[in-house]
Amino acid sequence: MSRVRVSWLAVIVSAAVLPALAQSGALDLPKNIEAGSAFSIPTTGAGKATLYVAGPAQALKREVQLGQPIAFAAGDLSNAGHYLAVLRSDSSTETGEFDVAPASTPAALSFLAKPSRLPAGLQNGITGAVYVFDSFQNLITKPTQVNFQLSVAAAPTQARTVTTSQGAAWTEMNSATKEGNAKFVAQAGNVSAARVIQQVPGDPCGLKMSARQVGDKLQLETDPLRDCSGNAVTDGTIVTFTESWNGSQTTVDVPLKHSVAQAEVPARSGARISVATGVVMGNEIRWEGQP
Amino acid sequence: MAVFAVHLPLLLMGLPLKSYDTNFHIFFASHYLHHWFNPWNAKWYAGFSQTTYPPLPQQWVALVSRLIGLDLAYMAVQFAAILLLALGVYRFALLWVNQRAASLAALASVFLGSESFLVYSAGQLSTTAAAPLYLNALPYMFEWIREGKWRSFLKGAALFTAAAAAHHATLLFGSMFFAIPVLALVLIDRQGGERVSTGAFVMRTVVMTAVVGAAVALVLLPFWIALIHYPVTQTPIPHASRANYILSPQWGVNYFVVPYGFLVLALPFIFVRGSVVARLRPLLLGFWLAFLVGLGGTTPVGRVLLGRAFDVLTMERFSYWATLLALPFVGLLAAELIDRYRLRAVAGLTLAATATCALAVAWSTYRPADAQDFKVDAVANWLNRDGHDNYRYVTLGFGNKISRLAVLTDASSVDGEWNSGRMLPELTAHAGGALTSSKYFGKEGLDALHAILDHADRYSLKWVFVRDPYYEPLLSFGGWRRVDNLEDRTVTVWSKDGVPPATTVNAPQMPPAWQGLMWGTLPLGSSILAILVVLLPDSRRRAPVGVESDIAQEDYVSGRLVS
Amino acid sequence: MGGRFLALFLVAATIALVVVGTLWPVPAAAAYAGMSPSGIMHSPSTPESAVDNLAIAIGHQDWPKAYSELSNKAEFTEQDFLHDLTGSYPSLRTYAILDTYQVQPLHVSDSDAQVRLRMRWSTVVGTFLDTRNLQVVRNGDQWAPVWPIVKETRVPPQVIAVNYLRWDVIYRGPADDWGAQDVEAPHVRIVDMHPVERAAGVVVLGELLNEDVVPAYVSVKATLLAKNGSAIATEDSFDKISHLLLPKQVTPFLITFPNVSLSEVDSIHMDPMSNLVAASADPVVEIQNQKLSPAPDAIFGGDLVNQSGQIVNIAHVLGTFYDQSGQLVWVADQYIDRALLPQTPVSFSMPVPEDLARKVSTERAVVATYSSGGFQ
Repeated sequence: MSRVRVSWLAVIVSAAVLPALAQSGALDLPKNIEAGSAFSIPTTGAGKATLYVAGPAQALKREVQLGQPIAFAAGDLSNAGHYLAVLRSDSSTETGEFDVAPASTPAALSFLAKPSRLPAGLQNGITGAVYVFDSFQNLITKPTQVNFQLSVAAAPTQARTVTTSQGAAWTEMNSATKEGNAKFVAQAGNVSAARVIQQVPGDPCGLKMSARQVGDKLQLETDPLRDCSGNAVTDGTIVTFTESWNGSQTTVDVPLKHSVAQAEVPARSGARISVATGVVMGNEIRWEGQP
Repeated sequence: MAVFAVHLPLLLMGLPLKSYDTNFHIFFASHYLHHWFNPWNAKWYAGFSQTTYPPLPQQWVALVSRLIGLDLAYMAVQFAAILLLALGVYRFALLWVNQRAASLAALASVFLGSESFLVYSAGQLSTTAAAPLYLNALPYMFEWIREGKWRSFLKGAALFTAAAAAHHATLLFGSMFFAIPVLALVLIDRQGGERVSTGAFVMRTVVMTAVVGAAVALVLLPFWIALIHYPVTQTPIPHASRANYILSPQWGVNYFVVPYGFLVLALPFIFVRGSVVARLRPLLLGFWLAFLVGLGGTTPVGRVLLGRAFDVLTMERFSYWATLLALPFVGLLAAELIDRYRLRAVAGLTLAATATCALAVAWSTYRPADAQDFKVDAVANWLNRDGHDNYRYVTLGFGNKISRLAVLTDASSVDGEWNSGRMLPELTAHAGGALTSSKYFGKEGLDALHAILDHADRYSLKWVFVRDPYYEPLLSFGGWRRVDNLEDRTVTVWSKDGVPPATTVNAPQMPPAWQGLMWGTLPLGSSILAILVVLLPDSRRRAPVGVESDIAQEDYVSGRLVS
Repeated sequence: MGGRFLALFLVAATIALVVVGTLWPVPAAAAYAGMSPSGIMHSPSTPESAVDNLAIAIGHQDWPKAYSELSNKAEFTEQDFLHDLTGSYPSLRTYAILDTYQVQPLHVSDSDAQVRLRMRWSTVVGTFLDTRNLQVVRNGDQWAPVWPIVKETRVPPQVIAVNYLRWDVIYRGPADDWGAQDVEAPHVRIVDMHPVERAAGVVVLGELLNEDVVPAYVSVKATLLAKNGSAIATEDSFDKISHLLLPKQVTPFLITFPNVSLSEVDSIHMDPMSNLVAASADPVVEIQNQKLSPAPDAIFGGDLVNQSGQIVNIAHVLGTFYDQSGQLVWVADQYIDRALLPQTPVSFSMPVPEDLARKVSTERAVVATYSSGGFQ
């Protein structure tokens, strides 16, 4: 709400001074000012005047004494952008324009890391994007170096340095081959932000099961399921056992527990038993034991 | 005095609030309260037009509610209707019987079981408001046609129009059961001495019919437009008043024993006296027809006479009209009993009247229409916060509480209690009533619920409030998730993901502004006009010639029969 | 004199009309009285009327009356009879209402008869058919049906250890800064999609895979697009899908577009949705003896065995059918009307359209479950 009010004030101020611009002189303004820094504007003449300063999301009005410099304290102008200054006295109107640049020192990072969860061993699967801000939440558009680091226990840290363009920097990283939480850190100057990327096992590699007859049942059990990087597949993953016999089928979906899936199906001589999880097929057994 | 003594305390206790339709009327009134000139109500059926239902009593409730709130305003309007009924019964009975019998008939109307049943169990404000207006109009019609009094014509026409603005069906069926007997009475009375020519009779009848017809057409124009452009396509919904009361005795108690009460003891007298006295025969025939139709599916008469309307209308109103038509006979019977048995008769009649009224009032407590006594305030508060009302909702297992909930919340629902107002094809294609009570309508009700949940995205239906776990499997298998619970976990809130926020439905049924203006002015205006016109001083009305002597002469005969 | 005749006439007419209305009630009244279309209950003088009376009593849920109609009631109690019809444990049968029934005589002799009673029950998730072939025996001039009692298994008191996984979710709080990460929705993928034209309209079939390591609550929406790019209709899978998918689990889905022809459709926009939800791997349901009996009257059937300790009140079986090339041909479903008790097989059977059944080479079933008061 306050931002809206300030913008409206800027419009009103501009509208008020526009008629006077035709007969104006020029103010002697510093060309580049860093956001939040102190500065002054020299004036000439004598008597009282009013200074209007209007910029993005900010407008000021000051009663000043002509002939004395107008001082702005640190923090008076904190929003980066293009400003218009109008000094209006009874006899004259002076105008000028100046730019307020973001402070050069990063003070805050907005760090977007996607995805927050992905399979291990994925090339360029992680994206990090950083927006660099100064202490007044101005986007620092000046090229700034940002260091990205993706570290995971028992694996070398991946690091990239990217220079911002128009205030933003982004990079892609590979997920590690080992499952576990990776710490994804972006740093610019002395400021850093961290996100956690959950690296989870990928699709199982080499799904294999064995069968053992217990009474009139077959006990089916998979070998411990691992992905292609050797990580144990997450417990809870559904494994489907299918027994085909004499034109009929028996299926059971069971969740992995301690990386192993177990199920019981009727023991039938001549039955074909297969196993699958998701779109990954495992081995097939033809049971020739006695029912 | 009797009305004040009997009904005022009951109304102040808020007894009608537990009835079937009271909250429905309050909901309509609450819309008029906030949007007097915009009859488009977005709170039910994703939007429907209130021009589909005559507005007069509800508008009066809205008007009075500015002073005393909606609930009390409803009671006040209902009370006024009961007061008017006593007057109307007196005036109507005076056409048929002497002053003493008419007074007793008016007194009996206060204790009428069907009136108490409609007020406290059914909550049919419109019917109970329209009937007294209609009864008050009929004597004016009689005077106009028999004597050609323009003042009577004006008063009758104004009252008829106001009655139609209260309830169109009363005017429609009232013509059959009430007006035709009165017209016949005019003809019969012609033979008694005062003559009206056939030409005058026909001309005055035609003029009255034409003027009232035109006035009703104008006052309810948006209603007729809605009816013609969007005829009710609703598949008939079962209603227990259409049951056979012998095969389904539980409904027989509800729709026959309770409304009639001890009036059934007067039936032999009504049939005998109504048949023996020639000038009472039209009244008897009117009563008989209304009585038969009021029996619902107990006889085939309702189905034969009403056709498809039999499956749309509810039958208890016919029993109500039948009892009103019976009241002149009851007054006559009471007068004769009192003449013959004095105090014993007074005591007996008082007991019978009190018991009849007490049974109908107690019935609403022992067999309440809305048996689920729970508050919907928590649900309303939940809907009204955190932007939940940006989406539509439906309740399951809330019974008649959905009207109360609709009054309290800003959110819009796809459900509602005004079956003739709904246009959503998922609802009209099935013979189920309110979605909240789907299971009571069997497969048809559940099919409607299934269809509307299936199209949740289409209607921005994001929330389902469940008070009956019966429905939970459907929601669970249909992709809804339980997200919250209210009222000590007796109400669960279910949500569907990916539903877009509700937007105003730009339905073709939405009435244009000029109709809103008409709807906001003419019906209420007609009632104010009726009040003003009725207040005009009346020329002294003569009692119908020959009434006293005819009745006295034939009383003797029927008295023997009765005894 | 005329008046008295009128009175008599009106009274007589009223009585006559009431008698007519009671003996031949109008449909609305008959429905409230729970009558058969033919009218009131009749004397069981024929095998059909005896079974008809039984069905009327069942429709009224007048269990003592229905039980009293049986000739073999000495073989079981009224409670057994009630449990046969409504289930011993809460299930679809418990709150089902008899919607319609048909009585079909199969064989009649002087002393006994075979009559088929087909009862269509209405439930919250749809209707189910319960067909009983009844023997009807003659006793004097009356007939009485012999009820083929099905006694439901009772679960003996016991403790069943359950140690399946469950997942809980902690979402980001409102105070978290912009840019901070939230738990991400599960990654799901449509692995197959295939529109077919049926008499009712266009049907979009497919399979959805949860390729993530967390459970997903899924649904699929489809929009049919015309050649000019405009949307013809949007529908979603509603209950023709298993909404809860555990990691690497696949569900079929079926979306119906009534009154749309495939020739009008240029393309289909699929919109799978997934949400991260708290979930449990319990219960595990084994599907035994799945078999597709060949067309005509193709039926896909089998047995469900609940391998967990928790009673499953309602199970929903989704059958997926593939042709020889592995392409999806059809998706069918059936709700199971009896509760799944631990280690107790319950059969299912669902019809498959005859023309499609001829193309089917392999089939597969998945089960979605509902347990009252259970974990959602």
